[in-house]
Amino acid sequence: MVLIWNSIQAAAVIRFATEVEEKSAQFYDDCAKRYSEVEETFLSFVRENKKNVTLVKRAYYGVISDALEACFSFKGLNVDEHFFETECDEKAALSDILKMSLEMENNIQDFYQRASALSESLMADLPRALKKVAEKRKERKHTLESLLDSVR
Amino acid sequence: MSVEKLKNFINGEWVDSESTEYGDVRNPAWDKLLCQVPMSTKAEVDRAVQAAKNAFPEWRNTPPVARARCLHRLRELLEENFDELSRVQTTEHGKTIDESRGETRRGIEMVEVATGIPSLMQGYNLEDIATDIDEYCIYQPLGVFGHIAPFNFPFMVPLWYLPFAIATGNTFIVKPSPRDPMSQVELFKLFDDAGIPPGVVSLVHGAADVANHLLEHPDIKGMTFVGSTPVGKIIYRKCGETGKRVIAQCGAKNYLVILPDVDLDSAVPSLMTSFFGNTGQRCLSGANAVVVGEDDAFFKRFVDTFVEAASKIRVGDGLDESVQMGPLQTGESKKRVIGFIEKGIEEGAKLLLDGRKLNLVGDVPETCFLNPTVFGNVTPRMTIGREEIFGPVANIMRAKDLDEAIEMIHSNPYGNAVSIYTSSGKMARRFQHDVMCGNVGINIGIVAPMAFFPFSGMKDSFFGTLHGQGRDAIRFFTESKIVIQRWF
Repeated sequence: MVLIWNSIQAAAVIRFATEVEEKSAQFYDDCAKRYSEVEETFLSFVRENKKNVTLVKRAYYGVISDALEACFSFKGLNVDEHFFETECDEKAALSDILKMSLEMENNIQDFYQRASALSESLMADLPRALKKVAEKRKERKHTLESLLDSVR
Repeated sequence: MSVEKLKNFINGEWVDSESTEYGDVRNPAWDKLLCQVPMSTKAEVDRAVQAAKNAFPEWRNTPPVARARCLHRLRELLEENFDELSRVQTTEHGKTIDESRGETRRGIEMVEVATGIPSLMQGYNLEDIATDIDEYCIYQPLGVFGHIAPFNFPFMVPLWYLPFAIATGNTFIVKPSPRDPMSQVELFKLFDDAGIPPGVVSLVHGAADVANHLLEHPDIKGMTFVGSTPVGKIIYRKCGETGKRVIAQCGAKNYLVILPDVDLDSAVPSLMTSFFGNTGQRCLSGANAVVVGEDDAFFKRFVDTFVEAASKIRVGDGLDESVQMGPLQTGESKKRVIGFIEKGIEEGAKLLLDGRKLNLVGDVPETCFLNPTVFGNVTPRMTIGREEIFGPVANIMRAKDLDEAIEMIHSNPYGNAVSIYTSSGKMARRFQHDVMCGNVGINIGIVAPMAFFPFSGMKDSFFGTLHGQGRDAIRFFTESKIVIQRWF
C-alpha cells in the first residue's frame, strides 16, 4: 500500500488514518504468526487498530458539517512525512522486529498528535479522538520497549 | 446506451412521468450526462397533492410518538446510507466529498431534532382564567405543504422543512431542483422503509411550471422556498394572494468584518471556507471582506495572507479527497461568474487573483471550473460589491472604523449573514447588537444555524414571518387552537 496523501482535507486525513491502522495491523498480524513470544501482544494491537478506525471515523462522521472547516484544516500536515515501512526479512530477529515496530509507532503517534493539534479549532470530538489514539500509541510504545528489554 | 429517466414518487410509489419534456442532469466535474429529469405535468402535481390530501387525516391522527418513531427509523437509514448519499451529492452538484458529508450530517440533524416532536409540539394551558374556566392552546397541523428546492444543497435544504412538517402531522411535497434532483431521489428511496405511509411525502420533478402549479394549488396550505430573491418575491406575493403560509429564504451579499486585533492564522482557514466553500454557491458564503482601521501594515498582511491562501486551494473533482474546491454547478454558472469578474475589472476593482487562469487537479474538462478569484479596492457601489455572485469570488474592502463597516453592510439590500473577526468582546458585542442581519457570526465564517435554532434572515434575504428549522418551524407547520372550557 502506498501512503502518498498530500492533502489537508479532513476526508484525506481520515483516509490516511484508516490506512495507517490497516497497514500496521497487517504488519502485526503477519509477525504474530512468526514470533510466538509476542503473538498475544501483537494480536491485541491488531484488535486495537480496528477499534481506532471505528473511533476516528465515528468522530469524523459525527462532526463533519459545514461548521467544520474541513477543507481548510490540517494546514501544513504533510502525511508523506509519516510514511513507514512494514516490509521486513522473514528471518529477522525478534529484536529487529520490535525496533521496527517502535519506529513505526513513533511515526504513527507523531501523525495523530499533529493531526489532533491542527484540528483543535474544529468541533471537539475529532481532535479528541485523534489525541486518544495518539495516547494509545504511546502506551503501545511502552509495551514494545518492555518486550525489547526482555529479548535483549 | 439509454439514459436513466428519473421517476416521481407519488402516493408511496415510483411512477414514470407522463411528460415528454426532460432535462439533463450532468456531472459538472466531468461534464457527463448522469440521467434525465422529467418536467412533470400539472396533472401529476394534482395527483401528488390529492395523495397528500388523502393521507393527511390518518397521518395527523397518528400519535406524535408514533410519527417520531418513523423519523427515528429514517435517521437510522440515513446513517446506514451516509456515504452513498454523500457521493451522489458530489456527483451531481460538484462539491467536495467533505462538503457533501457535511451536508448529509446537517440533513440528519434536522431529522434528529424533529424526532423530539412529542415535546416540541406541546401546547400550554392555564387553569382558572376565570372562575372554574380553563384555557388551552393546542398546536395542530394544517394539511399539505410544498417545497421548492435550490440546486446548491440538493440533499439538505428540503430537510430544513420536511422532517418538521411531517413530524407535526402535515403531508409534504418536494420539487427538487432539476439541475441536481438525484440526491432527493436517494432520500425518498428511504421513506418507505422508514414506515412513512403513502402520500405523506411526495417527490415531483420539474421546473417553474411545477413550482407555479404548487403555488397556485388551492389545497396546499403553505410553501417553503430557498432560492434567489427575485423568485422569492414572486413566491411571497403569490402565497399572499392564495392565502398560503410561506417561508422564502433568499439571496445574500454577506460581509465579513476583520478587525486588526484578530489572529490571522486562526481566521484565514475560516475565511477560506466562508468565501470558497461550496465553490461560493451558498447564501451563507462570504462575499465582501472589510478590513477595519487605518493600519496599512495589517491591511497589507491581511491581503497577502488571504490571496496566498486562496491561490493554494486545490480545485478539481470533488470525489478526489485531495481537492478542496469543486466546479461550479453548470457551464452557464461559470459564464455568469466570469461576467462578474469582467465587470469588476471594468468598474475599477483591482484583480489580485484571477480564477479564470485555471489550475486544476487531474484531467478534468474545464467546462464548469474556475479557481478562486480575489479583488481588491472594491466599493459597496460596484456591481461585484453589491450583487450576489454565487461563485468563488472574494472582494476586499476597507473601512476606517466599525461604524463605517456597519454602514457599508446596511447599504446593501440583503441581510442574510455577517461575521466579525476580532479578539475584542466589546466590539463584537456592539456589532451583534447594531447590525441588521439575520445570522451573525463572531469569529465564525459560515453562520449556519443548527437544526434546533431557526435559520434567520432579514431584508431582501427573507420573506415571511417564521423561519425554517427549530421552534420557528414547529410554529410554521402548526396552527394554534384555543380551547376555553367550563363544566357545569
